[in-house]
Amino acid sequence: MTLSELKHPGELEDLYSPVMAEIKEVRRLSAMENYYRVEMPGGQELGHMPGQFVELSIFGVGEAPFSVSSSPTLKGSFELGVRRAGMLTDVLARLKPGAKVGIRGPFGHGVDLDSFRGRDVLVVAGGIGLVPMRSLINYIIDRRDEFGRLVICYGAKSDQDLLFTDELEQWRNDPAIDFHVTVDTPSDHWTGNVGVITTLIPGLALDLNQTVCCVCGPPVMYRFVLMALKSRGLSEKDIYMSLERRMKCGVGKCGHCQINSSYVCQDGPVYHYPDIKFLQEAL
Amino acid sequence: MVQFYLEGARVPEFVAHLASSKPVYAPHRTGRQSYAFAKVTDPGAVVLDYPRTMHSVKKFFLPPREELLSFDLTDNSFEPVPIDPTDAVFLGVHSYDLAAVGRLDYNFTVGSPESNYLTRRQGAVFIGVSFEPDKFHFSGSVGLRPEDNAGCDIFLTKLLDGYVLEVLTAVGEDLMAGFELPAHDAGKPATGNFQQHIYLPQTKLGEVMEKSYDSPVWEETAEKCVGCGTCNIVCPTCYCFNVEESVDITVTTGTRDRHWDGCMLRKFSEVAGGEVFREDLAARQRHRIFRKFKYISDVTGQPWCVGCGRCTAYCTAGISIANIVNRLIADTERVFAAPV
Repeated sequence: MTLSELKHPGELEDLYSPVMAEIKEVRRLSAMENYYRVEMPGGQELGHMPGQFVELSIFGVGEAPFSVSSSPTLKGSFELGVRRAGMLTDVLARLKPGAKVGIRGPFGHGVDLDSFRGRDVLVVAGGIGLVPMRSLINYIIDRRDEFGRLVICYGAKSDQDLLFTDELEQWRNDPAIDFHVTVDTPSDHWTGNVGVITTLIPGLALDLNQTVCCVCGPPVMYRFVLMALKSRGLSEKDIYMSLERRMKCGVGKCGHCQINSSYVCQDGPVYHYPDIKFLQEAL
Repeated sequence: MVQFYLEGARVPEFVAHLASSKPVYAPHRTGRQSYAFAKVTDPGAVVLDYPRTMHSVKKFFLPPREELLSFDLTDNSFEPVPIDPTDAVFLGVHSYDLAAVGRLDYNFTVGSPESNYLTRRQGAVFIGVSFEPDKFHFSGSVGLRPEDNAGCDIFLTKLLDGYVLEVLTAVGEDLMAGFELPAHDAGKPATGNFQQHIYLPQTKLGEVMEKSYDSPVWEETAEKCVGCGTCNIVCPTCYCFNVEESVDITVTTGTRDRHWDGCMLRKFSEVAGGEVFREDLAARQRHRIFRKFKYISDVTGQPWCVGCGRCTAYCTAGISIANIVNRLIADTERVFAAPV
């Protein structure tokens, strides 16, 4: 669209007005993270894809991007998993069910499900990276016949930092899921794997021609997980990664999330690895 | 096309004529060497012969601070803040600033068109004026001459004792209605030559940047840079913004405001938890320069620097964008020429 074609700019969609959504449920996930279930006005669907994010705001406090944690197959509301990392998330953590928050979105380019259907899916999630990946995992669980095997590698700092522990238990006990978890610094009660997430990858049973992988975690993790995946024999074209940046506006205008010529809020947060392989500063 | 002669002494009369139909914004002197676009209240105070204003006309379409929403904390309700459409004349705009408006138009129409910018931008009428390049202008190197009139409704070319006035659009004709000027048959004088250049055609600059990612220039520039963000703030094509809340002292109402932000500021790329994706100044300088000559140009085919010289003229540390680019060009040529 060019300026001269725009006859009535005042009638354009208002990009910055949120809708007021209601928090239906708040639960503690760990010392620093909370779970929120949010209902859009009138129970309407958010209409997101796994990997997409929303801009959540509290008036007088601020607005920030958060990955949607629920699968689109969950109807009537959507879920977030939020770490307390600043004023907005601290205030959010004090809200009770019934409180209203502003929601814009969903935004961004989520998981390319068409490239995942019919294939084995390997999910590699580090720390709070499980939050967006849980959307993909639960989507696959709910549409089991559309996908091949589901392999999950999840790493956390310690066993106290593990998120969605009840669901982790279900995944572990689900014969259709190959679930692996490791922690860097275990407590005395931990009997599972110890070590960084890359230690899980060499031992994975994978059909390399059938497997497609999605990675999400802290910035430091990607480089090492990539090396491990490649030495395990995974092809670059079968790797997707969800990147974190400061997506302030969500609509490709404010410049904060720019990586070279790519806006994470438009082209990402989920990228096909070959598309960002030569993008400096991406990983 | 008919050219008219606007005698220097009649400029205030011309400004007054324009101001009789619409608000007029034009350059005014604000200090010994400082100029700024401001609303005309005294036609005699308008300065059409100026090197550059500190801020371009960007500030009228993307204000330094604007309220997006107003909210009421007592009932958690909000309303979008209405935007006044522009119906005004911008007089005395240089060609590089008009080119910069075109760059902003692209950003705010591509993908999700933004009504805030476009409502302010759409009714703008431009009267351009030629200029004499000073030691900071290098717009000639990015394909913009001082006499270029693209985007203008009326254009003024400086003569010794006045201006050649060309009416370029129907909107321009309407503005001139009721103001009689003699025809000008003598042709237009050439504008002065640029003193500052980028020594490679702008179409090649992407290639230079491609090879300059690891250049020592970034570290060397960072040693001088203080990370103040002035270069971003005075740039006519920088459009990045942040959004923050401001709450009144009674904590009952407030506004969600957006304000200009700059990629030279440390917090620009910070995410929750404190990770900063361009932590050192060298990486931020590279991002700034690449944004002007590579990142956005790769997508649009146009340089995002218009050669106004503001970032250099106002840099608090004496950093020159043209010198950086020329250094990169020279270094790249040396690499090309080096035996393998």
